[in-house]
Amino acid sequence: MKKFLFTVLVIGIVVIVLGCSNSDAMSTETENDNDENQELVIVGQEIATSLDPVEPLTASYLRSVGVAEALFIVNSEGEVEPSLAKSATEIDATTWEIKLRPNIAFWSGKAIDANAVIASLERSRSLDLQALPFLDDLTFHEVDEYTIQVKTTREHLNVPLNLSYYQTVIHNAEAKQDSIETMDFSGMYKVVEFDSKQKMVLELNENYWGEKPKINRIIHEEISDGQTRVLSALNGSSHVALNIPVTSMDQFKDNKEVEIVAAPAANTQTIYLNLNQPQFQDVRVRQALSWALDREELVLLGAEGQSTPVTTWLGSNPAFAEAKNAVYTKFDAEKASQLLEEAGWVEEADGIRYKDGNPLTLRLMTWGGDKALGETLQHQWTRIGVKAEVQHGDYSLIQTARESGEWDASIEAWSTFGEPLSLLSGQFSPEGSGNYGGYNDEVTNELLEQLAEASDEENRHQLALKINERVAEQAPVICLFPRPQITAVSKSLNGFEEHFRQFENVVNANLLFSSSHSN
Amino acid sequence: MHNSKYPISLVCGILLLFWIAILIMGAPFLTPFDPLEQNSSLRLEKPSLTHPLGTDRYGRDVLSRTLHGGRTTLISSVLALSSTLFIGLIVGLVAGMYHRSIIDTILMRVIDVLLAFPFMVLAMVIATLFGTSFIHLLIAVVSVWWISFARLTRSVVLQAKNDTSIAAATVLGAKRYVIMFQELLPKAVGPVLVLATFELGSLILSISALSFLGLGSQPPTPEWGSMLADGRDHFFQAPHILLGPTLFIMLTVLAFNLIGEGLRDWFDPNEITKF
Amino acid sequence: MYKIILQKLLQAFITLFCATLVLFILTHLAPGDPVKLRLGLPTEVAMSNTKVYEDRVNELRSQLGLDQTIFVQYVRWVKQLLRFELGNSIHTGRSVSSEIAARLPATILLSIPALLIQIVLGLLFGTISALKAGKTYDSVIRIICVSLASTPAFVLGLFLLWLFAVTFNVYEISSEASLKRMWLPSILLGLLAAPQLIRIVRANMLSEFGQIYVLAALSRGFGTKRVVKHALRNALLPVITVVAISFTTLISGAVVIESIFSWPGIGKYALDSVILHDYPVIQGYAFIMVTLVIFINLFVDLVYFLIDPRIRRKGETGIEDYA
Repeated sequence: MKKFLFTVLVIGIVVIVLGCSNSDAMSTETENDNDENQELVIVGQEIATSLDPVEPLTASYLRSVGVAEALFIVNSEGEVEPSLAKSATEIDATTWEIKLRPNIAFWSGKAIDANAVIASLERSRSLDLQALPFLDDLTFHEVDEYTIQVKTTREHLNVPLNLSYYQTVIHNAEAKQDSIETMDFSGMYKVVEFDSKQKMVLELNENYWGEKPKINRIIHEEISDGQTRVLSALNGSSHVALNIPVTSMDQFKDNKEVEIVAAPAANTQTIYLNLNQPQFQDVRVRQALSWALDREELVLLGAEGQSTPVTTWLGSNPAFAEAKNAVYTKFDAEKASQLLEEAGWVEEADGIRYKDGNPLTLRLMTWGGDKALGETLQHQWTRIGVKAEVQHGDYSLIQTARESGEWDASIEAWSTFGEPLSLLSGQFSPEGSGNYGGYNDEVTNELLEQLAEASDEENRHQLALKINERVAEQAPVICLFPRPQITAVSKSLNGFEEHFRQFENVVNANLLFSSSHSN
Repeated sequence: MHNSKYPISLVCGILLLFWIAILIMGAPFLTPFDPLEQNSSLRLEKPSLTHPLGTDRYGRDVLSRTLHGGRTTLISSVLALSSTLFIGLIVGLVAGMYHRSIIDTILMRVIDVLLAFPFMVLAMVIATLFGTSFIHLLIAVVSVWWISFARLTRSVVLQAKNDTSIAAATVLGAKRYVIMFQELLPKAVGPVLVLATFELGSLILSISALSFLGLGSQPPTPEWGSMLADGRDHFFQAPHILLGPTLFIMLTVLAFNLIGEGLRDWFDPNEITKF
Repeated sequence: MYKIILQKLLQAFITLFCATLVLFILTHLAPGDPVKLRLGLPTEVAMSNTKVYEDRVNELRSQLGLDQTIFVQYVRWVKQLLRFELGNSIHTGRSVSSEIAARLPATILLSIPALLIQIVLGLLFGTISALKAGKTYDSVIRIICVSLASTPAFVLGLFLLWLFAVTFNVYEISSEASLKRMWLPSILLGLLAAPQLIRIVRANMLSEFGQIYVLAALSRGFGTKRVVKHALRNALLPVITVVAISFTTLISGAVVIESIFSWPGIGKYALDSVILHDYPVIQGYAFIMVTLVIFINLFVDLVYFLIDPRIRRKGETGIEDYA
C-alpha cells in the first residue's frame, strides 16, 4: 500500500514539476524571439469551422485575416472601394460594368478573369443561402476577359455594395475548398495549418497582387471564453484579442502594453414585439414601452457604458446618424404613463396596470450576452406598471417560441449597414424574415414601394429616413443602442485599423511590430 | 460507552444551520435594502458600512440579495438533495441486496447509461418540452444526481454483506428487508451522508448552471447560484460580489457536513478506536 | 470464464443500445432545428426570399435523412455503427469519429494527472483526518475541503490563470493541448475533486476504526501503522467507486475548466454540439462515453476483486457479482 501511495505521489510531483519547468522554458523562449520575424497572434471567440466560403460565416473569418477578398470592400468610413475589381460604372438604371485588374491570380496561379469571378459568384449563389440576398437580383455576363456586365432586376441597385459583402468573396470555383492544400483564394495570406474551431496558421502570399504585408506569419486562435481572451491580451500571449467583453474594460485601464479599440458597430440592439398579442396591438402601449426606457441607463447597466443610445433602427448606420435620437428624443416616463392611461391601462394598488381585469404583462426573452440588458429593461418597465418578466436562455427557446407564436418580446441585433431598401424591407415589410412580430403597416409598405422605385440618391435617402421614422412611431420594435464591439490591441503593433465591421476587418497590409514596444 | 465527542459536531452543525435559517427567514427585517431595487449611480461599490458586501452591477445591495436569495436556494437544493439521497439509497440498497439478480443488473445498466448521458441534453429537453418551472428543474437535477449515491451505497452494501453480523442475521432467518433496513442501511448512511453534504455545494452551483437553459430562478429573483454566475462577468473588477453567496454556500455546506458526520456517528454505534 | 465474458459483453451491448436509443429520442424531441442552425442565423440582410430558404432547409433535411421517423433514423444510425462509422457532423460536415479523436486525447491528458492528484490528496488527507478525528488537523482539513467544495470552479480557474499567466507570466494562453499547458488545469481539476474523496476516505476509515479487529489488533500490540494499513485497505472499496465516478466525470469533459484554459477537450465540444443540436455528434459522443464507462466499470470490478481479500477468499462468487 505504502509503495502504491509513494509511487502515485512521485508521479504526481513529477508531472507538476515537469509542467512547471516546461512552462518556464517556454516563457524564456518567447522572450528571445524578438526579431522581425515575429508572429502575429489573433484570438477570437470563434474561428472558421471550415475552409469553404459558402459555409455560414467561414468567409467572414477568412476575410478578416486576409485570406479571402471580394470584388469590393467597405472602408472604415462606410464607403465602397474596389478591391479585386479595378472599377465599377453604372451604365444605366439596371446595368453596371465591372472592370477587373488584369494579371492577378489565385494562389494556384489560375487567373482571376471575368470567367473565374462569375463562376465564383454563381457558386456562392447556388450554395450559400446567406449570399442569396446580395446576388438574387443580379445576372452576370462576360464582356471581355477582364470586364463583367451586371444586369439588375431592380433599378438603381448599388451593385458594388452588394459585391462587397463577405458572402461574395471570390474563390476558385473549380478547386475543392475542403483542405489547406486544395483551397484557392487570392488574399495576402495563405492558410498553412488549420484545426477547425481551434487554430489557423497563415503565411504571407509571395505573389500577392496588392501591397505586401510586413508580417510574415499569423496565428488565428479560438479562445471561446471572454475573460481568457482578456488575460491572453494582458499577458502578451496575443496581440489582437477580438470581442472583449464590456465587463472587462476596467482591466485595461492604465495598461502600458495593450490598448482598446472600440469602434461603434453598425447594428442596433432591438426589442421585437409580437404584435399578435392583444396588449401590443394598441400602438400607444408600444410607444409607451419605448418612452419608458432610460437608454442612458440601459447602456450603463447593460453594456457598461460602452455604447450610445439609438432610438430608431437605422440610427446606428453611419450614413443615417441624424436619425440616431429621432422620435424618442428623451427618456420620458410621464409620457409613457400618460399613453398607457389613454390606452385604458390603469395602475392599481399593487403597482401594476390593468385593463378589463387583465394585468399588462410582457415576457421578454433574452439569450447570449443580453442577460444584464434584459434585467435592466425589466426593472425600467416595472416602474411604469408593466408586469415584466425576463427569461434568459438558449436561442432555440426563442426560435421555438416564435414558431408557436407564444412569445411577447425578444432581443436581437441586426446589422444596419447596407442598402436601405433590402435592410428595411427585411425588417418591416410583411414578408421580411426579420419581421418577427408580424408588422404590417400600410403607410410603411407604401413608402417601401416608393423607395424601390426612387431613382435619385438623395430621394432614396430621404425616403429611408421617412420609413425609419414611421416605424419608430408605430413602434413594432424598440431600438436601444448599437452592440459594443471591443478589441484589445497590443501597443507593440502598429497600423491596426478601427472599423465598424471589425469582425471582418482585422488584418491589413500595414500592420507592423514596432521595435520599441515588444513583449 | 457512546463517544461523547461526536454529538458535538451534530450540535454545532444544527446551531450553525439554525443561525443561517434565522438570517434567511428574517431577511425582510434584517436588511435595509430592497434586493430588487436598481440604482445605477451605486453600481459595483466596494464593501462599506452601508453596504457591507458592496453592490452588484445594477447597484443592488449584495448582502440583502444574499439573505433574500437564501430561501430559494436552500429550498430548491435541499429538496433536490433529499430526493437524490432517497432514490440513491433505495436503489443502492436494493441493487446491493439482490446483487446477483436481474434487478441489480438492470439498475446498474441504467446507471451506466445515465453516467454517460450529457446532462445538458436532458435538461434542455425538459426545459423546452415541459416548460421552465421549479418542478422541472428538480426533475432534471434529481434524475442525474442520484447515481453517485446509488453506486456508493451499493458498494458499501456489497462489502458489508460479508460482515459477521449480517451473515448471522441471514442464518437466523431474518427477512431480507429487515436486514436491508436494520443492518445495511445504517452502514451505508455514513459515507453517503458525507458525500451528500459535500455535493450540496456543487448542487447549488449546478442548479444555477441550468438558468442558461431558462430552468431555475429567473431574474431578478435573487438566488445564490445565479448571483455567482452573474458575478463572474465582473470577477476581476469587483470580486466582492461573489463573497456573499460563496460565504453562505460555504457555511451551509459546513453546517450540513457537521450534521452529516454527527448523524453518521449516530447510526454507527461502534466505538471508534483512538490512536 | 467464457460465460462471464459473454455475459459481460451482452450486458454492455444492451447498455449501449438503451443509452443510444434513449438519447436519440430525447435529442430529436428537443425543439430546435439542426439544419436551420447549420444554415446560420441571418443577421446581415434578411433572407427575405423565404421560399428558397424553406426549400433549402427541406432539401438538406431529406439529404440528412432527418425527414424520416425517429426509428428509421435510429436503425440507420445503428447500421452505420455496425460498419464502425459514427457518421458526419451536421454542422461541420466532417466525420464525427475524427472530430472526437482530435479532442478526446486532450481530455484524457488532463484527466489522468487530475485523477492522480485527487487520489493522492484523498488518501493522504483522508487518512490524516481520520487519525486526528476531532482534533485541529481534522478541522483545518474539513474547512479547506468545504471551501473548495463550495467555491465555483470559475473563481479558482480565473484566479489561477490570472496569477500564473499575467502576474507571474509563466503560463502561455493558447488554444493548444500541450504538455507545458497541462499542469495548471490538471492541478485545479485534481484540487476540485479531492475534497469529496478526502471526506469519503475519512468516513470509511472511521467506520473501520469502529470495527472490533482494529481494537483487537491494537491491544495485541500491533503497530499503529500496520493497523492503519489494514483499515485503509478495507476502506478502499467504496473509495474505488468514488474514484471511478470521478474518472468518468473527468473524461466526459470539464466544460468550465476547458473553456477557461481554452483547452480543446471533449466537454466543450459536446456542449457546443448539444446547443447546435448536432445529432450525430451527440450520438457519437454518448456512444464513446458509454463504452468508456463500461470499460472503467469492468476495470473497477477487477480491482475490487484484487483488493478485498474477503471477496477473493470466498471464492464461491465470480467477478460478475461485484459489477
